[in-house]
Amino acid sequence: MIALVILTAAGPLAGSAAAACGARARLAGWAGSAGAGLSVACAIWLLTAQLRGAPLSAFGGYLYLDALSGFFLLTVAVVTLMAAVGSVAYLAAEQDARYLSEFQVRLYFVFFGLFASLMLAALETGNLGLLFVLIEASTLASAALVGLEARSRSLEAAWKYVIISSFGVTIALAGTLFLFYSASTLHLAPDLRLTWPALFAHSRALAPQSLRLAFLLAVVGYGTKVGLAPMHTWLPDAHAEAPSPASAMLSAALLNTGMYAIIRFLAIARGRLGDGFPRGVLLAFGFLSIVIGVLFMIRKGNFKRLFAYSSVEHMGIIAVALGFGGVLGLYGALLHTLNHAIAKSVLFLSSGDISLRYRTREAARVSGLLAMAPVTGAALLLGSFAVLGSPPFGLFLSELTIVRAGFAGGSPALPLLLLALLAVAFVAFARTTTGMATDEPQAAAGPLRSPYRDRAARVAAVAPLAAGLAGLLVLGLWIPAGLNTIIRHSLVVM
Amino acid sequence: MQNLSAASPAGVLLDLSGVLILLLAFACLGSKLFNRYLAYYGAQSVMLSLAAAVTAFTFGSIELWILAVLTLAIKGIGIPVAARRLLIARLDLKRDAALSTGLSTSLIAAAALTAFAYLVTRPQLLPHGVIAAAVVPLSTAVILLGALAMVVRRHTVAQLIGWLIVENGVFLGAITLVATFPFIVEAGIFLDLVAGVLIMLVFVSGLTRRLAGASAAELRELQG
Repeated sequence: MIALVILTAAGPLAGSAAAACGARARLAGWAGSAGAGLSVACAIWLLTAQLRGAPLSAFGGYLYLDALSGFFLLTVAVVTLMAAVGSVAYLAAEQDARYLSEFQVRLYFVFFGLFASLMLAALETGNLGLLFVLIEASTLASAALVGLEARSRSLEAAWKYVIISSFGVTIALAGTLFLFYSASTLHLAPDLRLTWPALFAHSRALAPQSLRLAFLLAVVGYGTKVGLAPMHTWLPDAHAEAPSPASAMLSAALLNTGMYAIIRFLAIARGRLGDGFPRGVLLAFGFLSIVIGVLFMIRKGNFKRLFAYSSVEHMGIIAVALGFGGVLGLYGALLHTLNHAIAKSVLFLSSGDISLRYRTREAARVSGLLAMAPVTGAALLLGSFAVLGSPPFGLFLSELTIVRAGFAGGSPALPLLLLALLAVAFVAFARTTTGMATDEPQAAAGPLRSPYRDRAARVAAVAPLAAGLAGLLVLGLWIPAGLNTIIRHSLVVM
Repeated sequence: MQNLSAASPAGVLLDLSGVLILLLAFACLGSKLFNRYLAYYGAQSVMLSLAAAVTAFTFGSIELWILAVLTLAIKGIGIPVAARRLLIARLDLKRDAALSTGLSTSLIAAAALTAFAYLVTRPQLLPHGVIAAAVVPLSTAVILLGALAMVVRRHTVAQLIGWLIVENGVFLGAITLVATFPFIVEAGIFLDLVAGVLIMLVFVSGLTRRLAGASAAELRELQG
């Protein structure tokens, strides 16, 4: 079992190893995809084991896996697989177009694998200190991806990302320290005082004042990684400047890893402080993020920035759901995490395809996608309706659950506000993407050449889009019994 | 467990180095020369390693001795020397002109933040029996001062040093818990710090080659 856990985290390193040994884009990409596939398989295996067994714990809690971490593990592994397959096509095309050098492509695959495997490892530890170490390390690995193109814009974005995130995560470390302080009255072995299961079991005996400070610092610190407003400022830049599959990883995997850390702190804080304080903190940050995300989505401009602000909005929705709490709220939060991760991967991967064809990231210069590149256009259109929560896709179901949780929680004002904001988001977002897909093609553009060299690359570009949309459709119509059980098991540890 | 309260000599030494670390953060905020930033940061790290050594001695902990030596070698010497060679000398940085407030304003703000740190981390907030509880408000103040430096300074190199000061503040807090804070975690934090500084050095020098000043004030391309 323990070997399986390690294998899950180490899977994506296959691509890094291949690239480090000098493999070309295609080979390194397929190696990374195979590794990511292995991670998904292991994660599913671990989850089915979690359905029956008790949480897995080894090495004094440094390695710890329960239903909640298993759920996030699966989400991140699936996103990694989609992005890895998308990377094969994208990076090869960029290299063919002489947009990236061979060295840059190799660098990309080295850091892509490292980034993915550090995030997976972060989800597998029960030690909150080690969690910090791994999340900070994944920041550094992904900063290299953001700055990969080495133009002044991308370097600027990478600098902004690395300095803001490192600072934020350092604040989270201070929060971890205060949590450690608050546990110093417990008679626990030192190693256990940072170990999540031990803290959770003894949460009632923690010192409340410093726990309160710890929770606040953790939300602000890890919230920087999640992209909660007002700490989100790095997010649109980094997402816009990174290569598109890496943007998918940032938006759908990294943000969720940060949210996972917040959930762990939340579970401890709820145990001691009750519902009021954590609820207030999460609702405040959540609604602020939704408002900021929606406001910036109204502007028409770079479409990758649009998707990035939509991520800010959705992370806000998840924070609000966690704040509403109750079985419905937490269930909705987890379901929404999975749905959003898949939908955003589809959107960012299709944005990569668009920018390869049009050589622009400005929405105004893209039009008539449905006519010029039907598959990409359809993926963009369906993906954006999915991400906006229209039925029959999964996000409709999860947003509905979250709104119901809000009504169940008492005052109808907050869920009504949430609904209103979602409506504005719908109009703002769809205005841009439907324009890109359905407007008259620009006459001057001429016929578009496919950026991919051969059939295998085309399949690699389309497969993750199709698979992602199919998954969202399935999740919208029917939640598999296994997934349902896993989420219910996760609620127990929250 | 031996006592590290303010009454014992070791406790006095620890408190003293904590105070010096805070004063060096103030000195850094009050300076305008890149050379000085690095010198103050280096001195601060040396004091930090002294604090680590004092606790290591008191608790007879080998792991802490290792941390003290690492702090001295990497933060006290390695990072300042590397930054001087790779950034200050190569980019010919002298005076930091990219300040968003005057020095006196930022010093007054720093004093206010220090008072605030004492207010939020009153000793009674912490559970009894914590080792050297006096260091906690000091480390909180250092964290806030580092954050202030990052806000006030617009130059990328100055922001990097601000982050390093924040890191020192957190480390000071962690050291007071040394007897118990897991070593693997501390070592991991160290590794992250080194990797972080390396990658930031790459970005800063890359940015400087493309923009004239590498001041964050000039980083205006990405907005909205």
